[in-house]
Amino acid sequence: MDRVIGLIAANFATEEMGELTDERTIASLPYGGRYRLIDFPLSNMVNSGISTVGIITPYKYRSIIDHIGAGKAWGLDRKNGGLFVLPGSVFGISSSGSRFLLRDVRRNLVYLMRSPAPYVLVTSSNVVCNMDYSELLKQHLQSGADITMLYNMADSDDPNRTGIKADGDRVTGVTHGVQDGDMAFLDCFIISRSLLLKIVEWYSAIDYLDLFEVLEDDFDKMDIRAYPYEGYAKSIFTVQEYFKRSMDLLDTKVYDELFERAPVMTKVQDSVPTKYMKGASVKNSLIPAGCVIEGTVEDSILFRGVTVGKGAVVKNSIIMQSCVLGDGACIENAIIDRSNVIRAGTVIKGSTEEAFIKEKNLI
Amino acid sequence: MTTKKDCIAMLLAGGQGSRLGALTRHIAKPAVSFGGKYRIIDFSLSNCTNSHIDTVGVLTQYRPYQLNSYIGTGSAWDLDKGRGGVSILPPYSTETGGEWYKGTADAIYQNLDYIDMYDPEYVLILSGDHLYRMDYRKMLKTHIENNADLTVSVMDVSLEEASRFGILTVDNDDRIVKFTEKPKEPDSTLASMGIYIFSKKILKEALIADSADPDSEHDFGKNIIPNLLADGHRLFVYRFTGFWKDVGTIPSYHETSMDLLDPEPQFDLLSDESPIMSRENIQPPHYIGPDGSVEECFVGNGSRVFGTARHSVLSINSYIGEGALVQDSVLMPGARVEKGARVIRAIMGENSVVSEGAVLGSEDPNSKIAVVGDSIVVEKGGAE
Repeated sequence: MDRVIGLIAANFATEEMGELTDERTIASLPYGGRYRLIDFPLSNMVNSGISTVGIITPYKYRSIIDHIGAGKAWGLDRKNGGLFVLPGSVFGISSSGSRFLLRDVRRNLVYLMRSPAPYVLVTSSNVVCNMDYSELLKQHLQSGADITMLYNMADSDDPNRTGIKADGDRVTGVTHGVQDGDMAFLDCFIISRSLLLKIVEWYSAIDYLDLFEVLEDDFDKMDIRAYPYEGYAKSIFTVQEYFKRSMDLLDTKVYDELFERAPVMTKVQDSVPTKYMKGASVKNSLIPAGCVIEGTVEDSILFRGVTVGKGAVVKNSIIMQSCVLGDGACIENAIIDRSNVIRAGTVIKGSTEEAFIKEKNLI
Repeated sequence: MTTKKDCIAMLLAGGQGSRLGALTRHIAKPAVSFGGKYRIIDFSLSNCTNSHIDTVGVLTQYRPYQLNSYIGTGSAWDLDKGRGGVSILPPYSTETGGEWYKGTADAIYQNLDYIDMYDPEYVLILSGDHLYRMDYRKMLKTHIENNADLTVSVMDVSLEEASRFGILTVDNDDRIVKFTEKPKEPDSTLASMGIYIFSKKILKEALIADSADPDSEHDFGKNIIPNLLADGHRLFVYRFTGFWKDVGTIPSYHETSMDLLDPEPQFDLLSDESPIMSRENIQPPHYIGPDGSVEECFVGNGSRVFGTARHSVLSINSYIGEGALVQDSVLMPGARVEKGARVIRAIMGENSVVSEGAVLGSEDPNSKIAVVGDSIVVEKGGAE
C-alpha cells in the first residue's frame, strides 16, 4: 500500500442530520461512545498501510481540526508523508448530494502533483466500516481498471445513496438513490493519480459537479469496475440512520466486526476508567471511559465524561460527551448532544420512530 | 545551543519489586498495572509533566522491555521534547568496563554525564513505584527558600508506622538534625517518601565521594543522606500532606485498589486537580451485556461484562462471562473470567484466565489475597 495515497472528503454536508450538524459536519459527528465518523476511513487507511492522507476540510472546520490535530493518534505526524489538511470549497447546493466535488480536488492539485504514488484511494467520511483497503487495490491491479468502486447491496430503499448500474463487474452508470437489493456505492474508490489529474483538467469548466456526475457520458469509454464488500458497512445520511447505526453496536457481532479486526484510532483524552457506584444498573449498553454512573442505563450508548445521577434512568438513548444527568432524570428514545446539563427529575422522551434531539450546549 | 535546565528529574525504575511476587515475575514494578488503565510509573511521570519538569531520565535495570516500550518517546506525558524530554537510562559500559547499578545512589552516579548535559541547578530524584499526586514546584520553592543543599519530602505518619520508614528528626526551622532508617523507637513521625531535591553541585560531590567508598551500599537513605548530615550540609524537609503510597506488597496493592472504589476515596482518580496521563492503546468503549450487573467498580475500555461484578477494578480488555462473579478483586488488562467462574478477593495478572466454572480466592476476610500471574490459566479444580 506504499503505492497509494489517501484522500478523504470530509466536507459532505446535509440538512437531514438536524441539530446534530449545526456546529459540525457529518465527518466529525460523534459515534460509538468515543469516536467521530472520520475515524473509520482514517483508521482504515492507516491500518491498510497508507501513510499519506489528505483530508478535504469542510467550511466549518473547527471541530474536525480539533479532533485530528497533527494526526498523532493515527501515527500520521510524520516527516515523510503523513497528514495533509486540504481546504475544501464552500459546499454548494447539489441536488444529487455530491460527495466528491471536482472543485475540491482542483483546489488541492499540489497535494496530488507532489506525490510519487501511482494510486489514490478516495473515500467519503460517513460510512462506518472496518476494512482492509488493500483488497480493493489488489482487485484494481488485477483487473487493470481505470477506476474501481467499492459497493455493497442496499438493505433498504435509500434516496441518499448512489446506485451502481453494472454489467457484471463493469460499471455502466450511476443512479441517485437506491432501492432495496440494488448495488449501492460505498463512497470509496481507487483511481490512478495520473487519471485523476487528467479528469480534473478535462472537466475544469464544470468542476462544481461531483466526479461521477462529470463522468456520466464516459462510462462506456472508461474501464470502471465495481468491487463488493461483504462485511458490515453502513452509510449515515440522516438522523434516523445515525440512531439505528449507533444502536447496531450493541449487537456483539457488529461490535466485533467494527472494533476487533484492526484498531479504530481516535483522539486520546486521558479519561479515567468509568466508575460504577452502588445502585448502578447498566444493561446492554456501550460505555466509554470517563463516566460516573449511579443510575440505570439500558440499551443505550454513552460518550466520555457523562454523569448519570442517582435514580436517573436512560433508555434507548445516545448521551454525548460531558452531559450531566441529574438525580432522577429520565431520558428515553433521545439523542442528547454534548455538554448538556439535564436537571434533576427532568423527563425527556422521544418516540421509537423519532428520537428527540437536544442540541449541543456550547459550554 | 544551550540546553541548560533549571531542574531535571531522575526517576529510579530499576527495582524488581520482589514483594509483589507473581505480578513482577515478568515486568518491573513501575510497569505493573494499576487503577484499571494505568501503570504505576504513570503517576510519577504525570507529576513531572504537571509540575512543568520537561526533562526526565528513567533509570531501568530489571526486566526493562515492557517499561521501555511503554514509555516510548514519552509522548503520552507530553515528554517528547526537542530538548530534554524522557530518556531511558540503562546501565552501560565505558572504556574501563561496565557495571550494573549497585544501588540508588550508584545509578545516579553512573549517569552524572546525563545530568551534566543539561547542567541544571537542581536535580529531583524520584521513585517510579509510588502512587501520589504532587506538585514538585512547591517542593522546589521550599528548597530554594531554605537555601538548602538537599530537601527530603516527608509525610507525617503514625508512631506505629514510623518504624517501617526512614525517619527524619528536624529542628524548629525544619532543618534535618537526624536521620534514622527504620528506627525501633522513633523520636519523630516524619517519614521520608524517597523524593529528594538536590542542588546539583552538592549531589555531584556526594556521589563522587560515595563511589570511592568501598564500604558504601550506594544508597541515598543509608549512605548519602547520613554523610551529608555528618558533613554539616543544609538538609531540610518538605512537608507533604496529600495521599502517598508505596504499593510494594500484595496486601497493600489490593487494599489501595479497593480504596479507589469508595464513593469519596482518599486517592481520587477522578479528581480534576491534575490529570494522570497514560499511554493508551485505543480500545472501544466497554460493553455490559443484557444480564450483566456492575456496582462499585472501575471498568476500563474494551472490557465486556456478561456476568456480575461487585466492588472490583476491571482493567482494560477484561472479560466476565455469563453467570460469573467477580468480587473484591482486581482484574488486570486482558484478564478473563469465564462462564460461571467465581473470583473473590483476588488479583488476576494480565491476560490470565479463570476457566469456566473454576473458583479463585475466598470470601474469608482473613484469607490471603489470591494472586494469579500474567498469562496463567486457572483450571476448574486447580485453584488455590
